[in-house]
Amino acid sequence: MSETSTPRRDPEELHRTLDEVWANPRGFRALTVVNHTTLGLRFMITGLVFFLIGGVLAMLIRAQLALPDQDFLSPDLYNQVMTMHGTVMMFLFAIPMLEGLAIYMVPKMIGARDLVCPRLTAFGYFCYLFGGIIIISSLLLEIAPESGWFLYTPLSSSEFSPGPGSDFWLLGVTFVEISAMAAGVELVVGILRTRTQGMSLTRMPLFVWYILVMAFMIVMGFPPLILASILLELERAVGMPFFVVEAGGDPVLWQHLFWLFGHPDVYIIFLPAAGIVSTLIPVFAGRPIVGYSWVVAAVILTGFVSFGLWVHHMFTVGIPQLAQTFFSAASMLVAIPTAIQIFAWLATLWLGKPRMTLPMLWILGFLIIFVIGGLTGVMLALVPFNWQVHDTHFVVAHLHYVVVGGMLFPLVAGAYYWMPLLSGRLPSERLGRWGFWLTFLGFNLTFLVMHWTGLLGMPRRVYTYDTTMGWDLFNLISSVGGFILSVGIAMVIVDFALHFRFGRRSPRNPWHADTLEWANTMPPTNYNLVSLPAVHSRHPLWDDPDLPRSTSAGEHGLAGTTFGRREMWGSDPLTGQVREVVHVPTNSWWPVSAAAALAVVCVSLLARVYVVAGLATLVAVVVLLYWSWENGAHPRASASDEVAPGDPPLHSRTLDGPGRWGMGIGLLANGALFLSLLFGWFYLWTVSPQWQMPDASPLSLPLLLAGGVVLTAAALWLERLVRGLRRGHDRGLAFGLYGTAALGALQLVLLVVLLRQAELAPTASAHDAVVTVALIYGLIHSGLATVLVLLQGRRVGYGYVSARLPYEPLVVVQLWRYHLGVYWVLVAAFWLLPTLMGGSA
Amino acid sequence: MMARLPLTHPLHLVIGMILWSLWFVAFYGGLSVACAVAPPDPLQGAFTAINAGLALLTLATVGLLAWLAWRAWQAARAARGRARYLARLSAGLYIFAAIGALYMGLPVVALSPCV
Repeated sequence: MSETSTPRRDPEELHRTLDEVWANPRGFRALTVVNHTTLGLRFMITGLVFFLIGGVLAMLIRAQLALPDQDFLSPDLYNQVMTMHGTVMMFLFAIPMLEGLAIYMVPKMIGARDLVCPRLTAFGYFCYLFGGIIIISSLLLEIAPESGWFLYTPLSSSEFSPGPGSDFWLLGVTFVEISAMAAGVELVVGILRTRTQGMSLTRMPLFVWYILVMAFMIVMGFPPLILASILLELERAVGMPFFVVEAGGDPVLWQHLFWLFGHPDVYIIFLPAAGIVSTLIPVFAGRPIVGYSWVVAAVILTGFVSFGLWVHHMFTVGIPQLAQTFFSAASMLVAIPTAIQIFAWLATLWLGKPRMTLPMLWILGFLIIFVIGGLTGVMLALVPFNWQVHDTHFVVAHLHYVVVGGMLFPLVAGAYYWMPLLSGRLPSERLGRWGFWLTFLGFNLTFLVMHWTGLLGMPRRVYTYDTTMGWDLFNLISSVGGFILSVGIAMVIVDFALHFRFGRRSPRNPWHADTLEWANTMPPTNYNLVSLPAVHSRHPLWDDPDLPRSTSAGEHGLAGTTFGRREMWGSDPLTGQVREVVHVPTNSWWPVSAAAALAVVCVSLLARVYVVAGLATLVAVVVLLYWSWENGAHPRASASDEVAPGDPPLHSRTLDGPGRWGMGIGLLANGALFLSLLFGWFYLWTVSPQWQMPDASPLSLPLLLAGGVVLTAAALWLERLVRGLRRGHDRGLAFGLYGTAALGALQLVLLVVLLRQAELAPTASAHDAVVTVALIYGLIHSGLATVLVLLQGRRVGYGYVSARLPYEPLVVVQLWRYHLGVYWVLVAAFWLLPTLMGGSA
Repeated sequence: MMARLPLTHPLHLVIGMILWSLWFVAFYGGLSVACAVAPPDPLQGAFTAINAGLALLTLATVGLLAWLAWRAWQAARAARGRARYLARLSAGLYIFAAIGALYMGLPVVALSPCV
């Protein structure tokens, strides 16, 4: 594979042809934009708006708490404001903002032109936007959720929260989480499969390592909360009693599912921020990071260990001491990978020649604040101390040290660092330093003092306090600090806003950085690089400072575009050797249409107009299927097989394109959801005090077995067809695909009969409710697998799938394997085990 | 299995912690189920079948992880370049997983399981 795969052409012509193919439409059609640069920016700008809303809410809280016995906010409104502050900051600012940064930056850092599923990026953005608007609208209507940002049951259940507030939270947050899942899936696949020539795993920029682990964590960590939200919404809307003790449910199940998401979420926020730190420190120290491998190991370890700590949020709910000690130990264990990173950063600064620039100021602020937050974290990991300060302002102070120190400070550092790339200008050093010092001092004034308020016993989430408690002065100081912090943040925002007009022009690569994003023009084009360079180390721009010019001049691979497609390299996940040309979709109405249909679903569920919700769901499904139709060899994707001489084949003409990886990672997320459901089932079975297991399973064994046999036969048939495609023959392909679809449909019918025959009472007992959800889960998969394979049969007829185009059935077969496995696990968990163990009261 | 998945393969970067995760689930899940099904007399303290079972599970896991760490380290010494790097990193991750399981499992020698 030669690096320059196309004949040398005039650079201006290369730019022009790329511009034509990658152009963003304007006006109303701007809704169809799919490229990562624009969407990354949209994510970040939207995140900034939500951050400002969350900040105003924080100021309302501090204004209310500044003095004792205030009635500036009523108790009810205070609860709404306090709940929405946490919800907005965590779900609408922190996560989407960092996703936006990753979506914007990762392709540029790995030498790609876009993420692999650009329409998914757009879909994710609109889900985020619409979900956010739905959540915020509840506040404007003064019917916002008011049971705290982790929405504990039974406070959030119908009995104690009869209004629609909890529904807004459950539906809105789930909607936003679809966006996070979309970003998680495509970031993993983009990072593993579209790095430029020679960028092996061991040469990957550290920021990309962090994002890779973060994306995996999103994929595994969000499903428990999605499941919990679905269950609680089902309980609230139709009365399925998953969290009601008298009916065999358990409110503590919500806590488990929430924190199974919630604790990893802290690290989902922290890791990208730490990635910024690991990117900036070597640049400003002027040397490679000390202990690259140690940092990579630490990031991987964090990704795993952070899933093992969730119970430390629940030390006071009555869990046996041995289990508490187990989680206490795990909580301390996670300090090790964090410490490894901190020592690597300090060593890099020690051995380098640090330049005390504005971004570095924010990094130093991060180090101080985050270390303090980490230390109070170790204190909270100790069970007896945790019991003492549980639900006090000490915890509030700790969490702000961790998330503001661990996320906001690095984020601002990163913003100052990358802003010249975005705008071609440099922000004001003086305004920036004022902004930093006010933020830093204001933050510490607010939250350092809050530790004492907490130690003096002030509980969190109370709307006021009595002056005899002795908390007056501390609260006043915190409130003054909070407003100073706001002024600091405002200065930073003003600095950013002004620099677009008044900032000094920045030279290319102003910080003398080593990573590929700085090879882009400033601001970058929609397609990033005109030609995609090969990399030979972790520091491509230090190796070859001429890269910005040579890439623009088209002196590297895949220069320009010859066939009118949006193209980039598809590479080996380990070695980074190029093996395909990946063609990605262009601007499309499908993502915004699908998100709009889902928004209608969401709003109609809120309004309890279920007919409209059903119709809108149908519309969403049809839109998504149309979207999936325009892939592979479809004329709107790439009808022609042609590639430039010497270039590898198009990914859609191979056996292993990124779509296979996308399906695989998507199924990983799906598996996490399924495991959460199994966890809920076994948890209620073993722990719920009023659980009723029937003496005999309500599920008919003959029907279960018949469904399983039909499904197995269909899956085996599909496997046979796929084996044939792998060997290069497609005899009877359409017939086989239709046959598989027919068997799938038969299994679907059998499942429907099974569900009807079981005569479950899902509103009367938690047992029947969980069984119902499990069967519906199976039904949905049965339907989806059937429809997708049916469409494959149609695509054979259109000539989109054949021995020459074998790719798509290899993607779909993974869903069938998953469905087959899950089905038999369902049979084992919901029929076999209960039958073997017998009924219990 | 080692022939199919040599210790220089990048999957070993996560296998150690996946084994740790499985141990984690077996430990916490096993403890919860055992306490729901047959809670021992609290007066027995740590001298219960549950503690013994959890201790054995932990020791077996730690042994397996330590062995894999040793094998990965050996593989790193025999390899060069990227393969060496990956095997060495895997060895470190196996060691951490082993220490993690041992540290988190230690309370079984001191605490009654279901109180």
